[in-house]
Amino acid sequence: MRISERSDWWSWRHVALGMLAIPMLAFANADVEKNIANSKNWAMQAGDMYNQRYSKLNQINAGNVGKMQVAWTFSTGVLRGHEGSPLVIDGKMYLHSPFPNKVWALDLDTQKILWKYEPKQDPAVIPQMCCDTVNRGVAYAEGKVILQQADSTLVALDAGTGKVVWSVKNGDPKVGAVNTNAPHVFKDKVITGISGGEWGVRGFIAAYNLSDGKLAWKGYSVGPDAEMLIDPNTTTTWADGAVKPVGADSSLKTWRGDQWKIGGGTTWGWYSYDKALNLMYYGTGNPSTWNPSQRPGDNKWSMSIWARDVDSGKVKWVYQMTPFDEWDFDGINEMILADIDVKGKPTKALVHFDRNGFAYTLDRTNGALLVAEKYDPNVNWATHVDMKTGRPQVVSKYSTAQNGPDVNTKGVCPAALGSKDQQPAAFDPETKLFYVPTNHVCMDYEPFKVEYTAGQPYVGATLSMYPAPNSHGGLGNYITWNAGTGKIVQSHPEKFSVWSGALNTAGGLSCYGTLEGYLKCVDKKDINKELFKFKTPSGIIGNVFTYEHKGKQYLGVFSGIGGWAGIGMAAGLEKDTDGLGAVGGYRELNQYTELGGSLTIFALPN
Amino acid sequence: MLRNLLLGITLFAAGAASGQPQLYTVVDGYKVDPETMKGFRTWRAAACDRCHGANQEGLVGPSLLVSLKTLSKEEFVKTVTNGRLEKGMQSFGNSPAVMANINQLYAYLKGRSDGAITRAKVEELPPS
Repeated sequence: MRISERSDWWSWRHVALGMLAIPMLAFANADVEKNIANSKNWAMQAGDMYNQRYSKLNQINAGNVGKMQVAWTFSTGVLRGHEGSPLVIDGKMYLHSPFPNKVWALDLDTQKILWKYEPKQDPAVIPQMCCDTVNRGVAYAEGKVILQQADSTLVALDAGTGKVVWSVKNGDPKVGAVNTNAPHVFKDKVITGISGGEWGVRGFIAAYNLSDGKLAWKGYSVGPDAEMLIDPNTTTTWADGAVKPVGADSSLKTWRGDQWKIGGGTTWGWYSYDKALNLMYYGTGNPSTWNPSQRPGDNKWSMSIWARDVDSGKVKWVYQMTPFDEWDFDGINEMILADIDVKGKPTKALVHFDRNGFAYTLDRTNGALLVAEKYDPNVNWATHVDMKTGRPQVVSKYSTAQNGPDVNTKGVCPAALGSKDQQPAAFDPETKLFYVPTNHVCMDYEPFKVEYTAGQPYVGATLSMYPAPNSHGGLGNYITWNAGTGKIVQSHPEKFSVWSGALNTAGGLSCYGTLEGYLKCVDKKDINKELFKFKTPSGIIGNVFTYEHKGKQYLGVFSGIGGWAGIGMAAGLEKDTDGLGAVGGYRELNQYTELGGSLTIFALPN
Repeated sequence: MLRNLLLGITLFAAGAASGQPQLYTVVDGYKVDPETMKGFRTWRAAACDRCHGANQEGLVGPSLLVSLKTLSKEEFVKTVTNGRLEKGMQSFGNSPAVMANINQLYAYLKGRSDGAITRAKVEELPPS
């Protein structure tokens, strides 16, 4: 029978791959692990493979951070949104920029530029990037700096000279398949994704050999089982209160006709890896179009959390958070791995703060759903997540599909940019809490019919976003979250969305940047206690990071407003016009910041 | 005198008085003729608002309310067809939806720029 034949084929293939992989296990990843283990480094975008964004450094601490000063600065020469952060490995800093995606190696003794790489990319790529020309940073492993260019080229540079070692095309910009994500090195693979959910791009995640850039495996987000690397009998999901096999055609059954071919499910967020389980974790974005009536069905596996074997790409488990999305709640936000007590039991957890306003805690070994609670009290599109089925209970009034095309569905919370977008949270192993930069924004959303043309935008909705009503009037909160109980512990209001990545340290600090441009450090035991604040040259959407050089600890962040929240900056909106689109509530930003592009590094005075 | 009679009821594009076919017809500021309605649908389908703002007021791209005051029809068609790649505007030459409705798109945007169409979201006039 066909299905069992396929299963046998899968088992043999997996065994064969396993046998090939065994000799490599001892050496693969050793370099990255060594770099991460050294607290003086900031060797990965998230500091480690668990996405915890935590540093053991404590020279700068709650007692002395108030005295922190600017140590040095560096201008990137680019005036668009600066996401991600530099890396520091063994006394050298590796920086990146938004398009045109420059990369520099700096000598930390002198801040001299050791080498610079600037790819030649077709400027036609720029308008294919929906939400600013951001880049979330480089990766480093075994003497190579890995850059994921906007035009989809994945390139490895010699860390000593900046020369190209290998280069591979990951997507096709002509159909809108471009890149903004940071590549991640797990084991002997470079993992990268793709953007273009607003162009009808069919999403995927891909692994390339670190050594030579050859494609190792590629798993699509939607479509036939084999193309997603899903095994109907061994890949599981959460259903009926248990971990169950997904069954045959789990994706195809949830799409009408060929819509899945332009189905979205892109993969531009932050990935994590558990070495003991050999599983990598990531999320998929919105199904395509933004007009739900054109794609009836659950649209699996868009809006899902995935666990894949890093050697083969085979899917261990997958869980869909927002079936039949009606609001653009991309599921790509970071998957944080943490060993915490969940409802009293020690658990190998995966914690994810989704765009849809729910914070999920799953058992990362098998995808069991443990907690799903709102991390912003204003979330209203669903009353709750049914823990047995794993499905959100949608409120009709806020269902853009039920209200229909050409109808303006009003007052949906959160807005499409979510209770949190890509800006990554931190986990603190001392407090056992998560420190989460959030948006506090609602929207009106009107879908309408669109036709698909390859390479053209395929959106199908107009939006208007504004601060959550009946609240503090601001567009953001910085919160602490207990993922074991699913509760907000503390919430600190901010005037604008907190669009930067958080950093926690053993020195007792939790640091983040604001859209006005302030770098702030608060007491991690009481986040309402602000210990340090400094206005950098431009709004911050980058991730705070830290390192030590010659016995001194440094803390830094990129400034450069942009990204989805800041995309209106260039026009300097002043008029109080009704129904503004993606900027609406953010128009006041032009009273606080201009465009910019620089790195500010702080330290204690000598 | 003719202008006073028309004010507040129906507006025609400049040029109507000189005998040229009117570019757009709008009643009460937001009810438009079927061709101009096609222009609005084209505006939405091409997702122009993501750069030019939901009300054409400008975002990362310039305000079309302002641009259309000085851009000629020919320049408008050329810009939309070829894009302004160095400034980040894509070309729409390969978009059948846009190219087949370029005149209607111009009519809608010109009506917005003239201030005759007073809001971005328009409705179609019932057949008279």
